[in-house]
Amino acid sequence: MEELDGEPTLTLIPGINSKKRQMCFDWGPGEMLVCETLFKKKEKEEKVLGCPFIYIVRKDIDVYSRILRKLFNESHSIFVGLQRIEEESAGKSRKAQLVRVSKNYRSVIRACMEEMHQVAIAAQDPVCGRQYSSQVSILSAMELIWNLCEILFIEVAPAGPLLLHLLDWVRLHVCEMDGLSADVLGSENPNKHENFWNLVTLFVLQGHLDEARQMLSKEADANPASASMCRVLGDLMRTMPILSVMLGDDNALLEQKELLSNWYHFLVTRLLYSHPTVKPIELHFYAQSSLDLFLGGDSGPEPLDNILMAAFEFDIHQVIKECSIALSNWWFVAHLTDLLDHCKLLHSHNLYFGSNMREFLLLEYASGLFAHHSLWQLGVDYFDHCPELGRVYLELHIERIPLNTEQKALKVLRICERRQMTEQVRSICKILAMKAVCNNRLGSALSWSIRAKDAAFATLVSDRFLKDYCERGSFSDLDLIDNLGPAMMLSDRLTFLGKYREFHRLYGEKRFLDAASLLLSLMTSQIAPRSFWMTLLTDALPLLEQKQVIFSAEQTYELMQCLEDLTTGRPEPRDLEGQRPQDDDIETTKVEMLRLALARNLARAIVKEGTLEGS
Amino acid sequence: MVSVINTVDTSHEDMIHDAQMDYYGTRLATCSSDRSVKIFDVRNGGQILIADLRGHEGPVWQVAWAHPMYGNILASCSYDRKVIIWKEENGTWEKTYEYTGHDSSVNSVCWAPHDYGLLLACGSSDGAISLLSYGGEGQWEVKKINNAHTIGCNAVSWAPAVVPGSLVDQPSGQKPNYIKKFASGGCDNLIKLWKEEEDGQWKEDQKLEAHSDWVRDVAWAPSIGLPTSTIASCSQDGRVFIWTCDDASGNTWSPRLLHKFNDVVWHVSWSITANILAVSGGDNKVTLWKESVDGQWMCISDVNKGQGSVSAITEGQQNEQ
Repeated sequence: MEELDGEPTLTLIPGINSKKRQMCFDWGPGEMLVCETLFKKKEKEEKVLGCPFIYIVRKDIDVYSRILRKLFNESHSIFVGLQRIEEESAGKSRKAQLVRVSKNYRSVIRACMEEMHQVAIAAQDPVCGRQYSSQVSILSAMELIWNLCEILFIEVAPAGPLLLHLLDWVRLHVCEMDGLSADVLGSENPNKHENFWNLVTLFVLQGHLDEARQMLSKEADANPASASMCRVLGDLMRTMPILSVMLGDDNALLEQKELLSNWYHFLVTRLLYSHPTVKPIELHFYAQSSLDLFLGGDSGPEPLDNILMAAFEFDIHQVIKECSIALSNWWFVAHLTDLLDHCKLLHSHNLYFGSNMREFLLLEYASGLFAHHSLWQLGVDYFDHCPELGRVYLELHIERIPLNTEQKALKVLRICERRQMTEQVRSICKILAMKAVCNNRLGSALSWSIRAKDAAFATLVSDRFLKDYCERGSFSDLDLIDNLGPAMMLSDRLTFLGKYREFHRLYGEKRFLDAASLLLSLMTSQIAPRSFWMTLLTDALPLLEQKQVIFSAEQTYELMQCLEDLTTGRPEPRDLEGQRPQDDDIETTKVEMLRLALARNLARAIVKEGTLEGS
Repeated sequence: MVSVINTVDTSHEDMIHDAQMDYYGTRLATCSSDRSVKIFDVRNGGQILIADLRGHEGPVWQVAWAHPMYGNILASCSYDRKVIIWKEENGTWEKTYEYTGHDSSVNSVCWAPHDYGLLLACGSSDGAISLLSYGGEGQWEVKKINNAHTIGCNAVSWAPAVVPGSLVDQPSGQKPNYIKKFASGGCDNLIKLWKEEEDGQWKEDQKLEAHSDWVRDVAWAPSIGLPTSTIASCSQDGRVFIWTCDDASGNTWSPRLLHKFNDVVWHVSWSITANILAVSGGDNKVTLWKESVDGQWMCISDVNKGQGSVSAITEGQQNEQ
């Protein structure tokens, strides 16, 4: 019932602005539908032309950015690698490994930033260009935050090295200097450049004292009048670590606000010259005052400022919370939290529905990936590493992946089978079998039904095969039927189909005796459906009319019995639709022919069996 | 960021009452007061009209897609008291079954979990709920619960399939013993839970009372493997309740008020992993709600109809600690 910190975001859907209409919606697997409607269910007399549009709305459209996809792909490999780091390794080596992972993530962010920057510059359309540029700023902010987290939480630098790391951090993220430096030093007469002293100051602010001294010595050479001052300054700079602060005065520093560009640069410089041995736990005092001094009541802190401040306060949970709010997709918080969790820094807060923060964020991120036609495969690995709810989320999402190609279907099936997700396997195979039947691909339908262990469907498909045979006189997909093996047992109809095909094969190989026995057994064992008996008996005809006697007397008696069974059972409710008078005639003729052939065969068989061999 | 990724022009000539995505998000079915049901292919941001189905004689209130393992099947219900089931055969959509057993408007249709076969529940203004079950070879079996809700039934929603006992591979042909349940909401301000008995008859299992006016919609949340069951309900009284039941026998349901809106709340719906509830109200908004660590429900987003261009502010995602 409570509201979020800050208002929930509002998304406006364009449409006819009518005060009398409402919005109807539905969830898709990865998106939402909204449309205008009027819920009151009354039949109105007049037609009211409402807005005929349906809007499909989606979150996480970042997955569709080509450049960000690289980020997702590469960070996925790092993530999976991280999960596999041995638990046993502890202490220094483990820490080193984790720092390495962190640096890997950061380099991936930087690479993405670089590429996007290039695209932004090259963009023809200024709107596009602006979008890319803003994306670059976001990535840059992400790297900034991650870097700080790495220093404070993963590297866990003690006092001393801490400042050096922070100095590197600031240097890495303040780019103006390169431009300025190139500008000034590259000019014909650097000393006369308007920004000369700005650059010297900047070098000092960033602790690049050697460079500052070099510039000063140039100035000394060029301008003898100031040589002595420059020499003194240069000496001071060289011996700075011992002599302590030159610019320890906060006010003096503040005057360089423009060159400092932001409060955390100010903070680090301040620390450099006044408190170089700052301890980690003291950081937040200086951070807060730096922020206050720098902003000076002009403006309030931005989201980025809050995040950094939370980091300086070592409040990891606050960092994650603020990042979740400020960033538009789950990528950053999911991966950072996972890494911090591996550093054993997160308290295991149990969330109401039985998960924890790391898992919660990973689930959100991975769910977003499933909206994409190929990135979903990455999502699978993330779900795998969520012990509480990962499996069920995977089950729910994987069933919704459109199986447009055989290849994709097989991929999905492999994933399910490897994880013993039998229900999903069965469901997917059934869907594919149905699709195949609808497209008249009976062989495919049959193999999918077998894989789904769906007896009912296998029967249905077998019936279709048999129907086809009756109509066309031949089988399709012979390979499949010939090689059914034990799968044949799935359903009676399928068994019959397999055996019937075997009969044809035997006949083709001229193994008439075997073929004959098989044919008879199909009827006597009741495997053959009654509706098919006529066909079987008709198939027996050529065997009955061979020169040699194939059916024994006993077998002939049985065949006759079958025929009688069939014909005496005739007064069945006829299917009136298909029966025409000619059909009746054909039937009668067939029966007559069979009776004749059977009788003749019986005679020959009796004679043959009664005759001694050789006589 | 929330953005509009596709706009489908349905060309319906009158008010649209329902729009439903199919299982994969590739097809869209819509229905309208213009008595038609339309189906669009919406892959890759496009829109292709696949079918314009006529057959109802009044406004069509709802459509529902069946599970794809049964083929491409869509059910629709209408003011004309009919429920029609449409099927795609050989590339064309046709009416495959028409049910006319209700005495007034049929307001809601909902397909049961695919594990139960092809089974459709229909709620009507005549107060009855009918269950249509496909028996093969074009035959549908009908079971009717008369007087399920006095004055009328407005919504039906199935419970997710849960197999009692182990999920060991059943030998083919043997159906596991599912306990089929669904929820209904009616003009008697009640939500009722129904259970199928061993003899195949449907019996009222629970009565959930909390609303003070007509219940407009009920939605049973998908299962994420936890022992709790969850149902969302919304009503003419402007309230949305979340009902939870912790015990396995399903006997004690406790309501929690999600929010009291200023106007009628018409529709509630769960996302597929049940972590977000969407609520549509009379105030022209669709709000999205998420449960936080301490069991509180938070509104995370507002989707509002309005004029002008789409503006999406960075979405505030509630992060639980």
